[in-house]
Amino acid sequence: MTEQNRQGQPIAQDDRAVVIVGSGAGGGTLAYELTQRGIPVVMLEAGAYITHDDYVNNEWEAFNQMAWLDPRTTSGTWRIAKDFPNLPAWIVKAVGGTTTHWSGATPRFKAHEFAVRSTYGRLEGANLLDWPITLAEMEPYYDRAEIAMGSTHVHGRKALPANNNYKVFANGAERLGYKHYSTGPYATNAEEYDGRPASIQDGFNFQGDKNKSKWSTLVREIPRALATGLLDLRASRHVVQITHDASGRVDAVLYLDEEGELQRQEAALVCVAGNSIETPRLLLQSASPMFPDGLANSSGQVGRNYMRHTTGSVYAQFEQAVHMYRGETMAGVIADESRHDPDRGFAGGYYLETISLGPAFLASFGEPGTWGREFTKLIDAYVRTAGLWIVGEDLPQETNRVTLNSSVTDKNGLPVPNVHFDDHPNDLAMRNHGYQQAELLYDAVGSISAHRTPPYPSTHNLGTARMSEKAEDGVVDKWGRAHDVPNLFISDGSQFTSSAAANPTLTIVALAIRQAEYIADELRTGGI
Amino acid sequence: MAFPAKYPSLNDTALTDEARSTLIRVIRVAFPHDSFPDGPYERTADTILQAAEESTWFRVALTQGLLTLAHLAGGDFRDLDEDAATSVLRRIESTEFFGFIRRTTVLNLYDDPEVWEAVGYEGSSVEKGGYVNRGFDDLTWLPEPRIETYTGEPIVEIAPSVPLRPLHHATHGSSESAASTSSNTNTQPGATQAQHAEVSK
Repeated sequence: MTEQNRQGQPIAQDDRAVVIVGSGAGGGTLAYELTQRGIPVVMLEAGAYITHDDYVNNEWEAFNQMAWLDPRTTSGTWRIAKDFPNLPAWIVKAVGGTTTHWSGATPRFKAHEFAVRSTYGRLEGANLLDWPITLAEMEPYYDRAEIAMGSTHVHGRKALPANNNYKVFANGAERLGYKHYSTGPYATNAEEYDGRPASIQDGFNFQGDKNKSKWSTLVREIPRALATGLLDLRASRHVVQITHDASGRVDAVLYLDEEGELQRQEAALVCVAGNSIETPRLLLQSASPMFPDGLANSSGQVGRNYMRHTTGSVYAQFEQAVHMYRGETMAGVIADESRHDPDRGFAGGYYLETISLGPAFLASFGEPGTWGREFTKLIDAYVRTAGLWIVGEDLPQETNRVTLNSSVTDKNGLPVPNVHFDDHPNDLAMRNHGYQQAELLYDAVGSISAHRTPPYPSTHNLGTARMSEKAEDGVVDKWGRAHDVPNLFISDGSQFTSSAAANPTLTIVALAIRQAEYIADELRTGGI
Repeated sequence: MAFPAKYPSLNDTALTDEARSTLIRVIRVAFPHDSFPDGPYERTADTILQAAEESTWFRVALTQGLLTLAHLAGGDFRDLDEDAATSVLRRIESTEFFGFIRRTTVLNLYDDPEVWEAVGYEGSSVEKGGYVNRGFDDLTWLPEPRIETYTGEPIVEIAPSVPLRPLHHATHGSSESAASTSSNTNTQPGATQAQHAEVSK
């Protein structure tokens, strides 16, 4: 294992390197794009190198193998704080990051979702801001991201077939009058593509794909970056601080190695892609006399505007068998409700997407805290159950934020992140609309009952180092470059100015491709 | 781990056969599945007893809880029918004792191959080639749906009732036709004032 955790071409620790923190959708893509352009990269990943051979088709075993389980705390009125107080997010700690367990849905943002302040107007309690970029600027990068990831339905990629859960979902959609349903776009191969095989419909997505049909940076970007001979991959290394010189430029990162010893890597440039809880945690842990509120935090926005999407699930029971767990979990999407139509009682929109949990996870997450026959009937109906997930835009709020918990430390003695979240009334109205539409959808195909499941620990974590035109409104500029620190970049979903309704991975990848071009240009022209 | 001799009953209760069978009954009543055999319930009880042995707090809570059950049941909890037993559990559902049993049961009872078999879940599939040839699409009680993207009218992304400003990034049409303009649209009040208080602390 230790050998696997150190791969590629070693770069000296006193070499002033391009350092990427994190190896998921943002970090992994960036490492690939930079090494393709001849730029050597040190990539530090907190998790271990775990591959398809290690994955297991078992929910709890896989969870314990892959999930980020370092302690975290929660506060606020969200139900997570009551049911799962130390598990605000369900994300991965491993090489490849959360792309190793994501479902695969790849919708793009809509034009107005980059301009929410101008489109939605002022909404009480929301810290809305337009992105400093537009869909038109992003379109070429969306194309490249979709081609890299092999998204179905676009660029000539074949659609995935209808699985049983989709058959219920799509027939319900049709009968409800929805038009924009299909089995994708979805970044898992329906047929062989890019050296990876077609899906065998094994039904395990959140547990890692043993068949390598699903795109992740672990199966595509990282091995190709290693093949250039320009990547120094160091896994099981947890970065604890970014340091800076007297001019306020970052000059090194400090990280704990596999033995828990503190190491220093000199850096010419640091890109942080630790997902939206660890990224602000690292910036806050990097506070110094020059940056007393945390690195790159003159705006006070680091850690703020934490978003997790407005989610919820509905599991409906039928007379006849469904076997929702067979096949690609999320290869089913309805886009009709993704429009902005305030007449529904909320701003922004949402998608409906198929979802399935096994009995173990349905028991834990289906209705946390309950027991008795009301609870057990959900499990007893398991094979006759169809499921869908609501995923919609939630609004940035300044008070929804990641902070350092001053009284709880992790095994390394570092303050753990606290995640505070209160639902905005807009989020609640959207969720209720989604629940209602889902129940109508299933009723249209003969459901005998339906259950509203609350949001899971957050799989989409966004917004805690947001992009802004002006330095006082956010943490990074339109390239993800910190307003305050010229050689510091944020390269993950923390950059998101707003959440949009779409699953975020495609946009994170597209932004990373775009950022890599910019960084390469700036390095070449001396702009950094 | 042992308790002081002054409370010998605490040392005895948690691990007696009677305690174990009462615990099994508690789990069956709290998580009743007519189709489940005894094995998964017994294994879950043993997991709880094991966890209690490793934690003073859980051991104390479990011991006290099992004693209290007998008081509330007016005798042996195991002699109550499901309705009566459920009523007793409703009265203690907010206790640490019951919370500990509930949480541990949810995590373990349903992570048991015998339970999966009882509910019809097939477990690990990759070693059998997934479901691509084993029924991922065998549902026949509904028509075959379309899988391709809808080719009719595109989504109206912004409802026609929404007023759009000049120089707006978005249009009422689909994204393909979206205009791309650049303007400073940050007019959200409140944010900057709010952050100053925080930063100056």
